[in-house]
Formats: sequence, C-alpha cells, structure tokens
Amino acid sequence: MISIRNLSYRYNKKAPLVLDNISLEIGRGEFVALVGQNGAGKTTLLKQLNGLLKPSSGSVTINGLDTATVKTSELACHIGFLFQNPDHQIFCGTVYDEIRFGLVNTRRQQELIDGRIRRIAGLLGLEGMLDRNPFTLSKGERQRVALASVLALETEILVLDEPTTGQDYKECVEIMEIVKSLNQQGKTIIMVSHDMEVVVDYCERTIVLHNGRVLEDDDTGIVLRKTESLGMAGLEPPQIIQLAQRFGPLFQDVISPEDMARAIISCAVPGGVRA
Amino acid sequence: MIRFNDVSFSYENSDEMAVRNINAHIGRGEFVGIIGPSGAGKSTLLSMINGVIPHFYKGDFYGEVLVCGRDTVESTCGKLSHHVGSVFQDPESQIVSTVVEDEIAFGLENFNIPAGEIEARLAEALRMAGIEHLRHESTAALSGGQKQRVTIAAAIALRPEILVLDEPTSQLDPRGSRQVFTTLRQLNREYGITIIIVEQKVMLLSEFCSRLMVMEKGRIIMDGPTRSVLEHNDRLLELGINCPRIVTLTKLLKNASLWSGGYPVDVDEAETVVRGIMEGTHDQYQEPELSIQ
Repeated sequence: MISIRNLSYRYNKKAPLVLDNISLEIGRGEFVALVGQNGAGKTTLLKQLNGLLKPSSGSVTINGLDTATVKTSELACHIGFLFQNPDHQIFCGTVYDEIRFGLVNTRRQQELIDGRIRRIAGLLGLEGMLDRNPFTLSKGERQRVALASVLALETEILVLDEPTTGQDYKECVEIMEIVKSLNQQGKTIIMVSHDMEVVVDYCERTIVLHNGRVLEDDDTGIVLRKTESLGMAGLEPPQIIQLAQRFGPLFQDVISPEDMARAIISCAVPGGVRA
Repeated sequence: MIRFNDVSFSYENSDEMAVRNINAHIGRGEFVGIIGPSGAGKSTLLSMINGVIPHFYKGDFYGEVLVCGRDTVESTCGKLSHHVGSVFQDPESQIVSTVVEDEIAFGLENFNIPAGEIEARLAEALRMAGIEHLRHESTAALSGGQKQRVTIAAAIALRPEILVLDEPTSQLDPRGSRQVFTTLRQLNREYGITIIIVEQKVMLLSEFCSRLMVMEKGRIIMDGPTRSVLEHNDRLLELGINCPRIVTLTKLLKNASLWSGGYPVDVDEAETVVRGIMEGTHDQYQEPELSIQ
C-alpha cells in the first residue's frame, strides 16, 4: 500500500540530507507510530507520503501511484493528513464549512455531502458547534474540527502529526479511540507521537527515526525495550517497561500495568505476600 | 509568598467564573504542579500571579491576590515582573533575539540594569539554567528543549523569586521535557526559586513537584503533597486526569493485598515497591496530609 524505496531528501542542494536512504513497506490496515526527537525528520517523512514534498532520490508509491509524478490532489484521495497545529489547517468561518471544504473540492453531490458532514461531526462530538467559528473554540475542539475535515474525505490512509498535542488526557483518549475504531474499520494509520504511553496503548508497529534514518522498525513492544536506540533518539521507554527492565528477564514481556501486576502476583514469594 | 484570599474572576464578555473561591497559600521554595482538564482555570490562576490578570485581561475580580506582600490589583505587571518570571507554552512565540545571549540581555536592558552588571547577570542566568554552552548559538538552530531553557534563563536573569510556567513542555520531545524539569528542579533546590507549573504530563509532575493542585471547573479540588494526591487516583481518573502508570500498577498491587504502603512518584520508588513485595521487606512510605475541598 505504501512503499518507500531508498528515499533521500534535502530541502535544497546545499542543505544536508533530512531523510537519508529510507526504505519502508507499510501494509493495509497497519497502525504505525513514527517516533524520534524534534528535528529527526518525522514531519518531513510524512510530507513525502502525501506529495507535499518530492524525493531528492529514491521513490515513494502510494497504492501504486508514484508521488513524484502524480498530482498532490490525486494523492489526497488516498491519504488524509492531519497537521500538528490545527491552526495551520483551519481557515473557514464555520465548523460546517471547514468540514465541507475538502468535499466540495472533490465535486460530490450536495445531499451526500451534507449527510456526511453531520455524521462525522457526530462522531467527533462537534454536532452542536457546526455554526460556530472554529477560532472561538478551544484548542482541543479545533484539533477535532481539523480531524473531522480530514475524515470527511474518507481516505484509506490517515497520516496524523501529533494528534494529541495540547489535549488534556480525556480529549487525548477520545481522539485516540476514534482513530482506533477507524483502524479497526480497515484504515491504515501512520501517526507521529512524543507520548510513549499513547504509542504503547494504540500502535502495533513503531518506527524510530534518528538523523533522517530508520533506527528501529518492529513491533511496538520490542522497539520500546531498546533502551539504547530510544536514548539515542531522545526518547525513553514507558514507565512500566522501564520498571520491568530493572528486574532482568523476570518481566520481559510486560507492557501494561495489568501485565506487570499479574506477573508480580504470580511470582511473589509466599513470605513476601502480606495477608 | 503567594496568597489567594477568596478569589474569583470572570473574563470580560463572559458570564461564567473562570476561577471561583480560590483560597491557597504557596510558600517560599515550593515546587507546585497544577493539573486539570482543559478549561479548568489553570492558566487563569497563573495569570493572577504575574498580574496579567487584571492588568492585561480585564474582567470582574473578587477577593485579593498577594504576591510578595503586594496586592496584584494595586501593583502593575511591570512591578510584579521583578518578583515573578513567566514562561509560556511555545518558546518560539517568546524568543525575540537571534542569538542566545542577546535574548537574555534583552530583559536586563529593559530593566535598566547598569551595563557593567549585565555580563555578570547574563553569565549567572546561563549557568543556573545549565546552558552556558549555548551562549553564542543562534536561537533558530536550537532544539525545542534548548529554546525553552533559553526562555527560562531569560526569565531568571531578572532574579525573580517566583517562576510561573504554563505548559512549557507541550511542544517538546521526551528528552527536551525532562531537561526542562531537571533545570527547574535545580533552580528550586539550589537557588530556592518558587516554581508553579501548569502541565498535562502527570508523570513528570509526580516525579518533580513536591505539591500538586488539581483544578476542575474553576476550583481547586485537591491540594496537597504529591504522594497524597496520588492516593486519590480513582478520583483523578473520574476527572479525566491521567495517572502515572506506576501508580496504576501500585493500585492493582494494593487491590491484591500485596502492598499497603504509599504510592511511588518515580520509577526508583516503584522498584522499591516491587522489590519489597518480591523480597518481603515491604518498606512503607509516610502518608502526609491532604486537604480535599
């Protein structure tokens, strides 16, 4: 579905490589986290996927379409893109128009469009705000408006650049649960996040980017145990994995607090258990 | 050092109170974390300490806020800025200079610090923030964590007794976030600066703050030493506030009657809990006082 071959990219001929010989295959229905420190190339890589940036060398193909030759507008039918800062994305006077904008550009029928806008607004808890100006809403609400306008296009692939930044925990869980249900409906999700707890809770596969290269790429549970690579990339494992690692191989498969509690209960020595 | 006496405030053109009936005292040298859902009044509370409310944002102000003995309503933002340094979410919107040392000197010049003294104050602020090596760097070339430490250095160059920070790590990666908190801990421990920080990253708050205030719908609903606020993790979850995962784990171990002591605030303490259970040593933490309103 997404095929990246030997992709390198520099912003201009004199600039250093931002992406350095990246090769990745991402299949239909995957839920992938892209992690790394500020400046590692994560956002640059995302922009290669929807054709906002074109490879300096190598290739990126989306559903068989080569991003170097296909129009960005055609790629937009396959890939939806949520920017990190909703304010860089929102520009219409009402929430309704903001969600509608992308649909009108794809020339669909008016009644279909209206129904879809209302359905998506409902999904994201925006039904009571359709007539409001997005800029009078809270940051969390604006992030949901931006997400709604992306979801309206019903693309197979969703690319999300730090969708939970600036959200409180409740808003963060709400957004991630929506993304999870979209993934369960078969959509492919690629998400940049700095929150390792979100990554461990939702993403099956994690790719660590460092200095424009792929440092690690594997199941999330495996990648988040690679302390050395994570340290190099300015990351730290989630608390429970950090804790589990202090006990050598004893808790080596533990990821969640529930896993850890079960493992402790099953191996706590009888003398240590308080009645 | 900071006292809120029955304070309520509503912004101009809003009929709802952004904060209501706030009574709190923050003493010299405390490291206070404020947490709560969006719209709970956290930023409003901070803006009442540095005088941005009521001097920049107008509205209906009830009660009184005393900062270093001064009534903030009768003082000015300028006067208060000698006591209170402020750091905001986005370092980009706060940095005005192209070179790190200029950014720090900027505030000093505005404060009319004699030219002969600026060098010493500049060097001191860089040292205190742990960024002496960045002195001649271009601000644009810095990482997010470095930029935020430059804004902290610029704030402490003015030698405030109090530093208020509004989600200073929300744009930062995990390493940058930890760097900021480590710098704050140093400023707090070594220089006695009182720190008040609004933050969503409950894991970092638990690890670094000695006191947590939980806000909801304009009120402070919990206020106490970090460990005792974490005791009420069920309530926090109800409020939509995340708990550190080691607290969730400890809760499960308590439910299984394996642990009856206090909650760990960092991974080191969590290790002690788990070893205690595994080895049967079972060291218990003291449970300090907590006030719930």
